Amino acid sequence: MNIKWTHERSLMLSRVLTWAMFLLACAVLFLIPIITEWYDAVSGKPPVRVVLTVCLYISDVFAILAIWELNLLLRNISKQELFTEKNTRCVRIISWCCFGVAAVCCVLAFWRLLAAMIAVVAAFVGLILRVVKNMLAAATEMREENDYTI
Amino acid sequence: MPIIVNLDVMMAKRKISAGELAERIDITPANLSILKNNKAKAVRFSTLEAICRELDCQPGDILEFVKDDEQ
Repeated sequence: MNIKWTHERSLMLSRVLTWAMFLLACAVLFLIPIITEWYDAVSGKPPVRVVLTVCLYISDVFAILAIWELNLLLRNISKQELFTEKNTRCVRIISWCCFGVAAVCCVLAFWRLLAAMIAVVAAFVGLILRVVKNMLAAATEMREENDYTI
Repeated sequence: MPIIVNLDVMMAKRKISAGELAERIDITPANLSILKNNKAKAVRFSTLEAICRELDCQPGDILEFVKDDEQ
């Protein structure tokens, strides 16, 4: 069976994965107490349950917001609305969510140094998205210029 | 914007409606409206040529430059 990979199928896959990630992030909200309890039990280091719980809750909220904006972005793309102010705003919000997670991980790093690495990765992704947002904003301006060229 | 489009004036002189002009110069009525209401950001030479041909006028009859402090 030969399945032809099209743009629509790719978009559908992205939307399905985004929804799956959204459900996972929502499920994690309820599982955080169990996760932190398990972590303290297996880490063999001084307990950080309270700090870890707070940090995970805040990070999960950022993650849910970012995934929601991603879903909005994909919905606009499926409606052929690519270079719009709304999409620029979506990418901006996702980048700030990444920076938010980086900030939270920086705080957690005082207790667990590994969180510093996660902070760097999150900040890096946030920076990349920020540049993508700048590019999208420029493309939106060019499209508008083109649309109003008679 | 410093460039004013005085299309309405020339259309009234030549007694031609917006719909008819749009059809003759092969642009949509919506685009003609954008042009007439000074919302356009640019005009192609081909469009300007078509307008001048149909309205029998010069570009200067349709386009006017107004300095920012005069507006």
